[in-house]
Amino acid sequence: MTHLVLNELSQTYSNTDKPALDRLNLDIKSGMLNALLGPSGCGKTTAMKMIAGILTPTSGDILFDGKSVLAIPAERRGAVMVFQNYLLFPYMSVGENVGFGLKMARMNKATIEKKVLEMLELVQLPGVQNRKPSQLSGGQQQRIALARALIVEPKVLLLDEPLSNLDAHLRDEMRELIRDIQRKMGITTVFVTHDQEEAVMLADKIALIFEGVLQQYDEPDVFYNQPGSLRAAKFFGGVNFLDGEYAANQMTTELGTFSAPRSSLDTGPGVLSIRPEDIEFGTTNDGDNTISARVNSHVYVGTYTKYKIDVNDFRFEVIAEANTKESFPDGSNVTIRFPADKIWILPKG
Amino acid sequence: MKASMYLWWARFYSKGKVWILLSPALILVVFLFLGGLGFGIAESLNYMPIIGLNDPNFDAYRAIFSDKGFYKSLLLTLHVAITPTLLSVACALAFGLVLRQSFRGKKVFTFLFSFNLPIPHVVGAIGILFLFSQSGFFARIGHALGWMDMPAEFPIIVNDPWAIGIIIEYVWKETPFIGVIVLAILQSIGEDYEAVAQTLGANRWQRFRYVLLPLVLPGVLIVSVAVMAFFFGDFVIPAILGQTYPAVLAVEAVKDYTHYDLRNHPIGVAQALVIAAIGTVLVFLYMWLNRKFVRSDG
Ligand SMILES: Nc1ncnc2c1ncn2[C@@H]1O[C@H](COP(=O)(O)OP(=O)(O)O)[C@@H](O)[C@H]1O
Ligand SMILES: [Mg+2]
Repeated sequence: MTHLVLNELSQTYSNTDKPALDRLNLDIKSGMLNALLGPSGCGKTTAMKMIAGILTPTSGDILFDGKSVLAIPAERRGAVMVFQNYLLFPYMSVGENVGFGLKMARMNKATIEKKVLEMLELVQLPGVQNRKPSQLSGGQQQRIALARALIVEPKVLLLDEPLSNLDAHLRDEMRELIRDIQRKMGITTVFVTHDQEEAVMLADKIALIFEGVLQQYDEPDVFYNQPGSLRAAKFFGGVNFLDGEYAANQMTTELGTFSAPRSSLDTGPGVLSIRPEDIEFGTTNDGDNTISARVNSHVYVGTYTKYKIDVNDFRFEVIAEANTKESFPDGSNVTIRFPADKIWILPKG
Repeated sequence: MKASMYLWWARFYSKGKVWILLSPALILVVFLFLGGLGFGIAESLNYMPIIGLNDPNFDAYRAIFSDKGFYKSLLLTLHVAITPTLLSVACALAFGLVLRQSFRGKKVFTFLFSFNLPIPHVVGAIGILFLFSQSGFFARIGHALGWMDMPAEFPIIVNDPWAIGIIIEYVWKETPFIGVIVLAILQSIGEDYEAVAQTLGANRWQRFRYVLLPLVLPGVLIVSVAVMAFFFGDFVIPAILGQTYPAVLAVEAVKDYTHYDLRNHPIGVAQALVIAAIGTVLVFLYMWLNRKFVRSDG
């Protein structure tokens, strides 16, 4: 159980001027799982390597339970990193791979063997200890890499994109396994991903990073309901945006004025955002926050239908659950309504 | 009839294509190598119908194996093959580990390290003779500086019983060769395996012993077999830097082969064949050891 704090953690690689990671601040409570989320190249792996101790920060600090660990070398820091490409030692059996950390700690053979079997049980791969890593599938190798990390009972577990090399169904399984084990063992965990859904499903809190800079650090639902920026909203699947001027709970746009009590700014130029599933539509034009529109096209996706709706030159995406709303043919005239409590005003730019 | 011939030819051509394409090279190999080997074996058995020797026998082999000098030569040859191989591998690993890191002047250092790659062995041997013999450069410097009363007091490390001169030359020449391969292997391994090991608690020595070495060694073993086989059969360097008696097997073989008494001829050839046989056995032994211990090491 370790309380992990990153304080203005930065890394500038020697061959560049621009920091790969720029003053990252995180506070991960003991036993929590936080996600570092961001597109490829934003500095996630860099952050993990610094926490693990295999990369020295250019500036800033890393604290375990309030104490700086910068002076502690990686082999004694207790932060174990699981790499994206597993990196099982190819010349060792699976069992020897899992027991590696204990062997390094010079634990006796019998104890190691016993613990290895326990770990294989935990990652739901009993009986594979005598195989070679090359005889396992990618998903199995990932579990072995996880077992190899967990066996040393790390203070902090660092998982670098553990799901990105797996097939869709394996990914679901592995995600649940990680979540279960992490809860059971209560290990403070940092989980790296570029997939926002993955982050939402796993993490207690998400740190969204773009180009080495922390954009937002919040609980998952906040990224949907109250994203801090247009970019964050877009990264979380936001598609409906409308520029305007915000004042006194009113958003004035080219398509009219909308009542919008929820906002990230008090007044000034802003962007109205609303999620596709929150837009209501029908045929009656009953006043507040309602505008006339026309169905451009639609796709039926099983449990819901996705519409593209045009209003003048603007296009909105609307998601209608298949059984709750009547269907509208392409080209038909409709009205859409932005419920005031579903609109979120973002800062412009 | 004609059609079936055609078919047969087409089938032969498609199946035998590789053989047809290879045939010039094959003919060369068969005539030069196997032919030479056949003649050599015949000669070593005292079987040379052209000069009237029609009864093959094992006299030459008997002469070799009953000669104490042969065993001294064999031991020396093994020493001259194995010792510099081990030293070169150790030096190459050390240099590889240093050169893998980034530091100031790395480019210059790497250049100097691989500088002697294109220099022939013979040139190296002459250089060592010039530098280390008792009338050589260092001996004269030492004398001039008053460390020794006479240049001849300089320690005997050329044409010496322990083959130090030969070993210096071999290590000097092969360290960069193996080193370049070590560097390439290290580059392909990357640093992440060691990083994983480190976060799992492995200290510097453990990372070297349990991660780097098992990853590098299989590749290095393969080149070192080639290098050792070369040392085992080499004539040139021992002829220049070795002592006269006992000499390595190759030198002894040439001595016998070029002896004014033609009766030594078959003995020389037999010795060359024994060298080839032992070399082959060594290579197989090495490959077997490699498969047994390195690949499955924990
Ligand atoms: N060893 C390195 N030397 C120089 N630049 C690096 C190094 N490692 C990563 N970078 C750069 O730092 C940035 C962040 O990389 P990384 O942390 O790997 O991103 P992510 O894991 O989010 O994909 C990238 O622009 C990358 O090119
Ligand atoms: Mg990465």
